[in-house]
Amino acid sequence: MISLRSLRHQVLDIPSLDIQPGITSVIGPNGSGKTTLLKCCAGIAEPSAGTVLVDGHSPRETETGWVNEFPDRNILFETVADEVASPLRFRRVSCEMISSRVDHQLGVMGIIHLRDRAVRDLSGGEKILVALAAALVHSPHVLVLDEYDSHLDAGRARAIDDILRSGRIPYVIRCTQQMETAALGDRIVYLENGRAIHHGSPPEVFSSLSGSAFYPLSLRCGT
Amino acid sequence: MRVELDDVCMSREGWSLSAQGIFTEGIHLVSGDTGSGKTTLALLLAGLLPPSSGTVCREGISSLMVSFQFPEYHVTGATIRDECISWGIDPTGVLTAANLRDRQDLSPLKLSRGELKRLHLACVLARDYDLLVLDEPFSSLDCREKERVCSAISRRTTGITVIFTHEQMQFPRVDYIWEIARGSLHNRGSVPGALEAWEHAPDIIKKLIARGKVPENITPSDLLEAACRT
Repeated sequence: MISLRSLRHQVLDIPSLDIQPGITSVIGPNGSGKTTLLKCCAGIAEPSAGTVLVDGHSPRETETGWVNEFPDRNILFETVADEVASPLRFRRVSCEMISSRVDHQLGVMGIIHLRDRAVRDLSGGEKILVALAAALVHSPHVLVLDEYDSHLDAGRARAIDDILRSGRIPYVIRCTQQMETAALGDRIVYLENGRAIHHGSPPEVFSSLSGSAFYPLSLRCGT
Repeated sequence: MRVELDDVCMSREGWSLSAQGIFTEGIHLVSGDTGSGKTTLALLLAGLLPPSSGTVCREGISSLMVSFQFPEYHVTGATIRDECISWGIDPTGVLTAANLRDRQDLSPLKLSRGELKRLHLACVLARDYDLLVLDEPFSSLDCREKERVCSAISRRTTGITVIFTHEQMQFPRVDYIWEIARGSLHNRGSVPGALEAWEHAPDIIKKLIARGKVPENITPSDLLEAACRT
């Protein structure tokens, strides 16, 4: 379980929140603190006050994959293969193992054809897929995704969802503005002005949001 | 007023895009898979990228604006207020509309990505252009902001507006549907007739059509009207 207690950081003010294993979608208005919450869970930000613990450990002691909402801010290296290999190289994995795992990950993501391309020349969606591959290649315990799906077509987003649902990653925390995507996760946290206003299963949270812009259109249309 | 693509081709190793067609006045929606060439086509339409072969001809267009997929690429002002001024617009109205007036002295890069997109689109939509190219205008916007931006786009009654998007739920009223499939740009025609041929149509539209309920257009209210139709 990821436990947040007396968390205060920038706009965030969350007295207590428990995130169970599985896929948790964080939704809410722009500026409500979604990215800040994700950064605290990933260990990228140290909270000003309070604690975040992942199964009893600091996020910085936990294997974490992170995809930034700004696609260009994910990129450190020149080629796709080097970018995806980088988390393994930092862990001093053998060259043979790195080559095999990079090719496998690119294959799983359906982007093996991009292997030798320069990342800077890719489309926004392709950059996100590369960042996702780099985040997944070292089998993280926690995968944190900030609006990765706003750059992907529906087919790609579904394929990524299947990978996330494969059960290999204990915790997936993702921010999305696609309510239909949020409805497919295990739980939803709805943030507003830095506070976790609603938290629970998708039906529970969306029943509280009925009549708001955040209520899925597909539910309104009965599709 | 029109943009004509005549036997246009863009290619690089292992990838190509061919495009033929005329964009007339109205709101055009262009969809396509990730990496299919939507941004490339947006740059071609705007004249920011020359085609490998063929011609792009803009007729009767005296003002043009491109909104890039990444709002951070547009930032030139040191503060939010300066950013508005750099677009040649009065910051007061725009910042009030974008609900950012109390933060006008902050750097735009201190905003969340959704807020930065909101600021950027408020600046873009504050003026009328003969040709307005919007590359993924809804990405990063929350559901309320998508509604607001869709309303603003729907109100454009003159000029050519071309929207490139992956969005699946929130759309403005559109006049024409195009899509990139199998390396080529396809004109699916005017809405609602175009909807049945639209390969990249969102699931919700496909499901409504399968029930024999073809929406008049693709705004949320059109989809709700179709869903409730007896």
